[in-house]
Amino acid sequence: MDYQKHMELTPIKRFLGLTKHPYFGFVVIGLFLALGQVLGQFGVIGTSLVRSFGYTSIYMIVGLGFALLLGYAGLASLGTAGFVGLGTYIMGYLAKTHDLPLILVMMVGIIIAILVGLIVGFISLRIEGMYLAIVTLGLSEIFNEVFKNAYSITNGTNGLSIFGVGASREIAYYTAIGLLILMMIVTFNVMKSPTGRAMLAMKNSDSAAQAMGVSILKYRLLAFIFATVYAVIAGVLYINYAKFTIPTTWSLAYSLNILAAVIVGGSSTIFGIFLGTFLIFGLNLGILQQFEFFATNGAYSVIFNGALIIIVIMFYPGGLSKLVLTLSHKIKKAFKKYKEKWLAYKYGED
Amino acid sequence: MEKIDQIKRQQLIKQLDQIKGNLEFYQMNLPIQKAYLTSKKDQKIERLTFKKDQKLLKHYIRSGKLEGYPATLYQSKIDKINQSYDLKIRALKQRLKRKEKPLADAYQDLESIELKRKHALKKLAEVFEKTSPDRKSSLNIIEKAEEKLHSKVEKIEKSLLIRIEKLDKNTQDKIASLEASYQTHHNTLNTLKETDALENALNKTSILRLEHVSMQFGGLKAVNDLSFDVKEGEIFGLIGPNGAGKTTLFNCITRFYRATEGNIYYRNHYDQVISLNDYQVHRIIHEGIVRTFQNVELIFELSVLDNLLVGAHKNYQTGFFSHMANTKRLRAEEKVQKQKALDILSFLELTPYMHMYPLGLPYGILKKVELARTLMSHPKLIILDEPAAGLNDHETEQLKETIKKIRDTYQTTIFLVEHDMGLVMDICDTVCAISFGKMLAIGTPQEIQQNKLVREAYLGGEADV
Repeated sequence: MDYQKHMELTPIKRFLGLTKHPYFGFVVIGLFLALGQVLGQFGVIGTSLVRSFGYTSIYMIVGLGFALLLGYAGLASLGTAGFVGLGTYIMGYLAKTHDLPLILVMMVGIIIAILVGLIVGFISLRIEGMYLAIVTLGLSEIFNEVFKNAYSITNGTNGLSIFGVGASREIAYYTAIGLLILMMIVTFNVMKSPTGRAMLAMKNSDSAAQAMGVSILKYRLLAFIFATVYAVIAGVLYINYAKFTIPTTWSLAYSLNILAAVIVGGSSTIFGIFLGTFLIFGLNLGILQQFEFFATNGAYSVIFNGALIIIVIMFYPGGLSKLVLTLSHKIKKAFKKYKEKWLAYKYGED
Repeated sequence: MEKIDQIKRQQLIKQLDQIKGNLEFYQMNLPIQKAYLTSKKDQKIERLTFKKDQKLLKHYIRSGKLEGYPATLYQSKIDKINQSYDLKIRALKQRLKRKEKPLADAYQDLESIELKRKHALKKLAEVFEKTSPDRKSSLNIIEKAEEKLHSKVEKIEKSLLIRIEKLDKNTQDKIASLEASYQTHHNTLNTLKETDALENALNKTSILRLEHVSMQFGGLKAVNDLSFDVKEGEIFGLIGPNGAGKTTLFNCITRFYRATEGNIYYRNHYDQVISLNDYQVHRIIHEGIVRTFQNVELIFELSVLDNLLVGAHKNYQTGFFSHMANTKRLRAEEKVQKQKALDILSFLELTPYMHMYPLGLPYGILKKVELARTLMSHPKLIILDEPAAGLNDHETEQLKETIKKIRDTYQTTIFLVEHDMGLVMDICDTVCAISFGKMLAIGTPQEIQQNKLVREAYLGGEADV
């Protein structure tokens, strides 16, 4: 019996052992975001900051799906905005005309998303890389034109508002956070599972993946379905929270921002996606928009994103999550080294 | 009619594959699960005993029954105090060395430290002595606690036994039912076999047969009307000068290319002859054919162990939804596959590289990892595309042994393309030489060495000299 081991296992250490559970971090992120709304209700932080938290965490759901598509399956897509927009209009239309509850709308949204994902997935079998990105961009633009012109459903360029329908803003916020936690856990599971490995195999080498029994057709479709379902769910949550949607939001700039968020943060870990979305969207919505200059000249905030992408791609191709990881590793190493030095100084060498 | 039979057969084989996968999972899962449960139980009992000892330490001392674990616990407490004062003395010595302190002061300090140590030790002892040293009641308390622990341990052991029994029974039941359904499926497959036209396409001793296979890229015939047999359990070498069409032929067999003409027959796990032309590229591995590549095609974003798990992709019986929810079954499957990967890694002496990423590892190791990956899927036929390319002489020697070892332990057939004549002549049972897509000769290594056509192809004809 190992007494030393049991003697060292103090309650604090047992708790620290619990923090090593992979889901712990996701729950902490979720609680931290929920705290934002609580603080906002008590007036500690401003409403606009709380809203930026809300929007950013909804965008993070899009980022999660996109990271799986880009970082794992290796498929580039610029059509994200179209799918998110689709989600907002599905919810907007159904909530306004039929007054359906959120859960039912989500079901309908997921079914439509699967269909759209299948279509894009089949397209992706024929074309790859840049060309696929352009095809998805075209698809997104088609969606956008439909949003602008199908006046009877979408209310055209004036935007569709559903004020007074559905849950209150607070409830919508907490719903979004709850779903975000769930999505983080699911995405993490998929990334670590045989499916995630198969997707990585497909990204690294088509032929090796096929020789190992990975069906390219199946996993490409799966990746696209995953991304579109996440995007549509995020869209539903967005209009549920914002109560308003307008076609100009779902333009190329939005897709590029999602791409930037995933690249800047690093697509291989959930933490990286969190970091990326909060840098790209949170920085803009939460901090830059507070200044009058950026609020009136919205285009200037894009400069920050551009500079960030350049810096990250040039110096840290693995994304900021990798940077944080290496930094923390280095700090730990340095700390250990100095501790050893200090001990040798104090007690002499053995 | 024949087409329907074909489809029926393919489906049956698919079902058999599933049953076989499940069977393997249950068989391998049982010992792993048992070991896990037992270790968990041991940990729990250890923790309980430790808690009891810590709680009753003073009673143990008072009753004079300080032996076994409580004694070590007491000793470790004393050691801890001693250690901390020893460190203080060491620090003092160090300060003396650095001349930060005059000698007289140091003596004083040393004395005070020793005094403090004595005091602390005395205090530790006093804790147990100060309160009334009622030996009898202490003994009573200890006895009660030990009894309680004993009953608890018994309970835990009992519940473990019940759990293991249940697991055993469940697994046995499942294995029995799976085996029964395996039998019935296999029987139906065998009845289909009798009417099967393909059955006579392949000799009983052969595993693979190429029949007039041609592959044409535009005007170029890379493979031109090749036919030969690969016997079961042999190491078959394919040689030929650069551009002879060796890799093209491999790609035809593994369905990366569709042969423009000809048939490829293969005998699968269930002793069924199939025509590979009916299969898609990712289904080939399910039939037991697995390949390596000329340029190492590993997944550089995954560790060596995970690369092996990619090779086990077809062994997973769980679907996408259980991957999303990370179900118990998936976790058990992952454990089983990991165990298998560890076995293979130790078989090929790759264990030290287990958690490393392929990027930056020596080329010889990467080739070995690729070989290890092929073994994850219970192959019947392993196709090696230039296994010795880029290896030095020493590594090539090792590779020869490895290939033979794999053939003998895993009961597979090996079909390889190689430029290293030493390797081919040493290990192959049959060698086939081709040039410009056409067959030159086939036979034992000695026959090939003496063949005139082969010499001409490699060294040039007499007219060229």
